[in-house]
Amino acid sequence: MSPNQNGARLKPAKRSRPEPESHGLSPERSPEIIEVTPQVARRWTRRDFLTLGAGAIVGLGIAASQLPPITLQRLGLKFWPANQGLLNKALGFDDDVAELLYSPNRLVPTYPKSQVTLLKNNYNGATPDPSYIPNWRLTLDGLSSGLAVSLDIRTLLTRFQIHDQITRLVCVEGWSAIAWWSGLKFEDLLQAYPPVSQAKWAFVESLVNLDPNGKPDPYYVSLDLLTARHPQTLLATHYDGQPLTVEHGAPLRLIAPMKLGLKNIKAITRITYVKGEPKDYWAERGYSRYDGI
Amino acid sequence: MASKTQADNMCGLRASTQPVVRLVRKHHLLVRVSHWLNLLLLAGLIVSGISIYWASPIYQHGPDPQTGNSDYFADAGVWLCAHVPGLHSCASPPDWLYNHFSLGPYMLAPAMRLHWCCAYLFMFNALVYLAGLCLGGEWRSLLPRASDGRGALFMAKHYLGAPFAWLSRRGRVPPRFNSQYNPLQRLAYFSIPVAGFLSVVTGWAIHKPMQLSWVAALLGGFDRARVWHFWLMCLFIAFVVPHVILVFAAGWDTVRSMITGWSSRIGDER
Repeated sequence: MSPNQNGARLKPAKRSRPEPESHGLSPERSPEIIEVTPQVARRWTRRDFLTLGAGAIVGLGIAASQLPPITLQRLGLKFWPANQGLLNKALGFDDDVAELLYSPNRLVPTYPKSQVTLLKNNYNGATPDPSYIPNWRLTLDGLSSGLAVSLDIRTLLTRFQIHDQITRLVCVEGWSAIAWWSGLKFEDLLQAYPPVSQAKWAFVESLVNLDPNGKPDPYYVSLDLLTARHPQTLLATHYDGQPLTVEHGAPLRLIAPMKLGLKNIKAITRITYVKGEPKDYWAERGYSRYDGI
Repeated sequence: MASKTQADNMCGLRASTQPVVRLVRKHHLLVRVSHWLNLLLLAGLIVSGISIYWASPIYQHGPDPQTGNSDYFADAGVWLCAHVPGLHSCASPPDWLYNHFSLGPYMLAPAMRLHWCCAYLFMFNALVYLAGLCLGGEWRSLLPRASDGRGALFMAKHYLGAPFAWLSRRGRVPPRFNSQYNPLQRLAYFSIPVAGFLSVVTGWAIHKPMQLSWVAALLGGFDRARVWHFWLMCLFIAFVVPHVILVFAAGWDTVRSMITGWSSRIGDER
């Protein structure tokens, strides 16, 4: 049934380059030939075009419903029902994938000091006034002792072993920076002040954060204890060999390089251990909750 | 499908007084479904990708003393609004490109949600496409051949000459090849799925630079992976333009074959 046998194949035109006879590894099969009346061909064509048309209408309708309201407005689709259900599902699915990919034993890449790059101050709002630093204390709550603990920076620096770590901080915006951090392991703090037994999460807060206008805008992140216990999750006290400056979250900030930068909260004032997943500043603003990278 | 075809076929043969058209199967149903689905998914990926790019452009210069811009895309928008008639009244020239080719500036969170959604569907669609290639045997038509380099150059010359031939009203006989695709098509239709695969790999390298740090390392690091990912998007855009022009130039039959699956060109398969 090959076209060659039926004589249907036209002779190559003068200027054409004939294919080599050998087709190498994968000889192309002679195509399957069907004979139908023109009416049948037309019916099939009509059916398939209508199917594609219907599919296009449904597809575009779903796609348009998933666009953000501002984009819809710009397209002139003011009254189109915006429904981000599918996108929210995708975001949740992606978080589940990230959680599956995470391994408490896998270390993130570390770098030599020669590869350290500039790290910009990416405070979402205004940089806080450093006047909070002298009276700063870290409050721990949700402990197995049932009591809240308040620690100052000197206690943290003397009681815990300080580790150096040069890792990459990856921002959700797409830029990244390799920075030299020093601090105590979150794991060591968890050992010294164990959380309540059912706790699965740390709710980490900074009460000193400001919005772009300089008004108080407390920042808070949810951190799963599996990530908090990772050997490279630090409560950093030093950046580039110097005590943290106010731009980098003096006197204590989180460095969890296996999370996006937005989880790496600066100027921590309070850590509360809880059973259920706590709220998260950027998750409330449409970003993912787990942020594992 | 097969039995229906048979029945229709018999009907056609029974009506012996009627003319008969001979059709040849070209694209498996799954290949066609994935092709049209890809149109939507790639549009979603590009639109959201440019919004993500806005948050931290790869190509930046020192901030402009007058405007404060450091993004070449913003410069391009400013230039377009200043020089293209009809755009002078544009409200925010630096955002012009982002307003017209993405979800817009300041849309990082919705853009990422859209990007992940389309990306997972894109990966799933790749499996649909591969299944269609295998079931329909079309993969055989896509594998490059030793002579394709020269053949592709020859075809490129033919296509580039086509507008001039048309203008000078010189009739030209298109080159014929005894295969489903000509060498240039074969090269393009083989490379584009490879580029799709690479954009998925570079995407994962950027998305999970810690858990999949070896993927980023393979691509020359996190920042290089972003550059690869960006240029692969450009490659898709660069592919689509001639693809659409050439498909329509090749004729109605070619467009129809990606919708119905069959072609009435027998022996003249392009």
